[in-house]
Amino acid sequence: MSNPTQTEVMRTVSESGDLRRFSGPWFRELAIRYAMVIVMLLIIAFFLYRSARFGTVDNVTTILVAAAPFALIALGQTLVILTGGIDLSVGSVIALSAMAAAVAAKEMPDQIWLAPIVAVAVGFAAGSVNGFVVAVMKVPPFIATLGMLTLASGLAFVLGDGAPINGLPAEYGQFANTRVFGLTIPVILMIIMIVGFGLMMRRTSYGLRVYAVGGNPLAAQIAGVKTGRVLYSVYAISGALAGLSGIMLSSRVISGSPNLGQGYELDAIAAVVIGGASLMGGRGTVWGTALGLLLIQTLNNGLDILTVPAYWQDVIKGVLIVAAVAVDVWASKRRRS
Amino acid sequence: MSNQQADVRDSASHAPATGTLLECTDIVKGFGGIPVLRGISLSLEAGTVTALAGENGAGKSTLMKIASGQYRPDGGTVEVQGKALPAGNAQAAHRLGVAIVPQELASILELSVYENLFIGRELRGPLGLRRGAMIEQAREQLAVFGLTTDPRKRMGDLPVGIRQIIEIVKATNTGANVILLDEPSSAISEREVGRLLEVMGLLRDRGVALLFTTHKMEEIRAIADRVIVLRDGELVEDQALANLTDDDIVTAMIGRELEDLFPERGVPSADVVLELDELQVPGASEPISLTVRRGEIVGLAGLVGAGRTELMETVFGVRKAESGEVRVRGSRVKPGEPAAAITAKMALVPEDRKGAGAVLPMSVLDNGTLPGLAQFSIAGFLRQRARRDRVGEVMDSVRLRSRDLDQSLETLSGGNQQKVVLARWLTDDVDVLLLDEPTRGVDVGARSEIYRIIVELAASGMAVLMASSDMPEILSLSHRALVLREGAVAGELSAAELSGAEVQDRIFRLASGLEVTEAGTAAAESADAPRKDA
Repeated sequence: MSNPTQTEVMRTVSESGDLRRFSGPWFRELAIRYAMVIVMLLIIAFFLYRSARFGTVDNVTTILVAAAPFALIALGQTLVILTGGIDLSVGSVIALSAMAAAVAAKEMPDQIWLAPIVAVAVGFAAGSVNGFVVAVMKVPPFIATLGMLTLASGLAFVLGDGAPINGLPAEYGQFANTRVFGLTIPVILMIIMIVGFGLMMRRTSYGLRVYAVGGNPLAAQIAGVKTGRVLYSVYAISGALAGLSGIMLSSRVISGSPNLGQGYELDAIAAVVIGGASLMGGRGTVWGTALGLLLIQTLNNGLDILTVPAYWQDVIKGVLIVAAVAVDVWASKRRRS
Repeated sequence: MSNQQADVRDSASHAPATGTLLECTDIVKGFGGIPVLRGISLSLEAGTVTALAGENGAGKSTLMKIASGQYRPDGGTVEVQGKALPAGNAQAAHRLGVAIVPQELASILELSVYENLFIGRELRGPLGLRRGAMIEQAREQLAVFGLTTDPRKRMGDLPVGIRQIIEIVKATNTGANVILLDEPSSAISEREVGRLLEVMGLLRDRGVALLFTTHKMEEIRAIADRVIVLRDGELVEDQALANLTDDDIVTAMIGRELEDLFPERGVPSADVVLELDELQVPGASEPISLTVRRGEIVGLAGLVGAGRTELMETVFGVRKAESGEVRVRGSRVKPGEPAAAITAKMALVPEDRKGAGAVLPMSVLDNGTLPGLAQFSIAGFLRQRARRDRVGEVMDSVRLRSRDLDQSLETLSGGNQQKVVLARWLTDDVDVLLLDEPTRGVDVGARSEIYRIIVELAASGMAVLMASSDMPEILSLSHRALVLREGAVAGELSAAELSGAEVQDRIFRLASGLEVTEAGTAAAESADAPRKDA
């Protein structure tokens, strides 16, 4: 026979929730709020367990160096996606601005400092065209930037007569390879940009306007936001960042190649989406993008270390990208209810 | 051939449809620990129309979703003609003959009417789809409900009211004898409401049990046999309509007497704030001139499509005027630029709250910051403390019920969203307040609060221009009312006229063009024209 008072006590405890807090809901709550961070930690834990080299300072630096050029375009992509658009042209704009910078360095080797300025200016110009076509001519972003993808790639080949530009002065390499406090310039730039953009989106009126335009363009307009300007600006910024990414990539190898940056736009979009942004606009954060970016780069690096064949790497990456977003969709549904 | 089969099946499913068709017993449902329904029991009889009334958040939509199998109740049962409905199985509910026409219609806008009607049960022959036969059948089905719409038309090209009736036709075609309509009249014009009510009457005659939710007393009076009122998830009234007065229903809905739905109006000053001078709205038949004084509420009445929204949007610069000008405190406002209107201390609360008013994914705080961005930022950086304090203050002043300022707007009720859309302008001085259907989709309780806010704002010195399709709103809130027709002023009614007898009839006659003696010119000359010179 069971003691009635005991069962009664048991029931009271479980009903008041004191017991449950330590089993299910407590962990569930955590899993829901930080789903993506947990996925990330699991992946890191797996690689740490499988490889001694993965956790070394050297390897972490390698991951950061590889991440830097992607980080710049992923930040631009975040802004564009927040407005409900997409920028497919960044990969080609990287190639075009790198070629333009290489031409400038070749023609004026004494004014080597011009190269990064040329690259950013070319990227900004390409982005401005995107912005104009989207904001003023009202062409859907997918089409506008698809056009720029093809156009910029064509121009990149024109600049090099169909071939890479080599034989640049050695100083051309200083932009990507100089070290400050043991970190290369692209890595430092990445960190500054992520923090800067993160603050900009949370703390400035510009950031709020971008979210408003993405969340409801008409409501934003009625609240006095000049929606056309905001739309134009995100594409221009995305282009300029692609230019910056272009000079970093080409400086690293001291040459300009028209194939540089090919397909980078897809990794950048993947990083933004893994980071929890909605392709419909209005939802997403810079921190999320940074996390998504690190997730992809960590995977690339870890699978390389484990000497997984390149094609299988792509298969695994593809599955993990979808799985990561599926987890996030599941978690955000729970979060909202 | 198959058409006859359909008829046979129809009559077969209608013949036994007598007595109780749907019975809910002790339905309990909560979301995230918050109870939404606390033991609701109701039954729907064949051949009756039941109105489900209650404020927003009372649990009406949730109850409908449970009855139609979309939600699984936490407790209680749903029975359809004596058979238990498997909990949370929409397909099973459909098979048992329960159909729901949701508030946000689920039509496929890119497909034609007949494709929408037949989707999921297409007529097929040896050569694939029998489009001709489907078109013919669709035409007949529509004719039954008095629609002469060409079934080959694209669904998206039809007005919402027609789409709604087509959704109802679709539900009956699939053999439904219990039809649940969630706010069927919230998004359609008055003329379409008439047609909707006719269709509901037709269905009742065919033995269908109908349950519909609405905010409008006239609709309950016009069609319902029985009224069920929910309040805070509990059933507080279940009576034949004949036994209830309007006051009974309203009192049951809000749980208190409502003699003071409309607060006392203030006295307007003589000083003119807003002037429209021969403003030509794009698409309007003639230009409009009017003035609004400090502290005055000017109502804009008219039928749907009379051009009230267009006028509001042109005054605010969302649309660009073809000619004429808008002046605020005597100075001209740059046309076609909402930012310029805001600088001139104007504010617009648009008709379409979800489409044009609120940025739903953003928080109360961010929505509240948006119109006053300039005052809340220094060199582009947001002044976090300042905006939180100020937005908090104005949201308190309208008694916003939200968890905190960081709650996103999409999780608030319609009435609370509207309070945010209104209050966000108050962080800065506003001289001219443009209100377009300020209480559309807002329940009675929140409505009286919004009226109080409007009257207080006018009394504090704002000039208010308010477009409304709600007659009591025009009559009881405005100091003066203009009636619009085809974008032009058809007549003006003074305060004395507004409180006079038969004013509603007069407004209707002006709005519909039956009375043209006091055309636009006469209206412009009356009352305010001499005051302008003085």
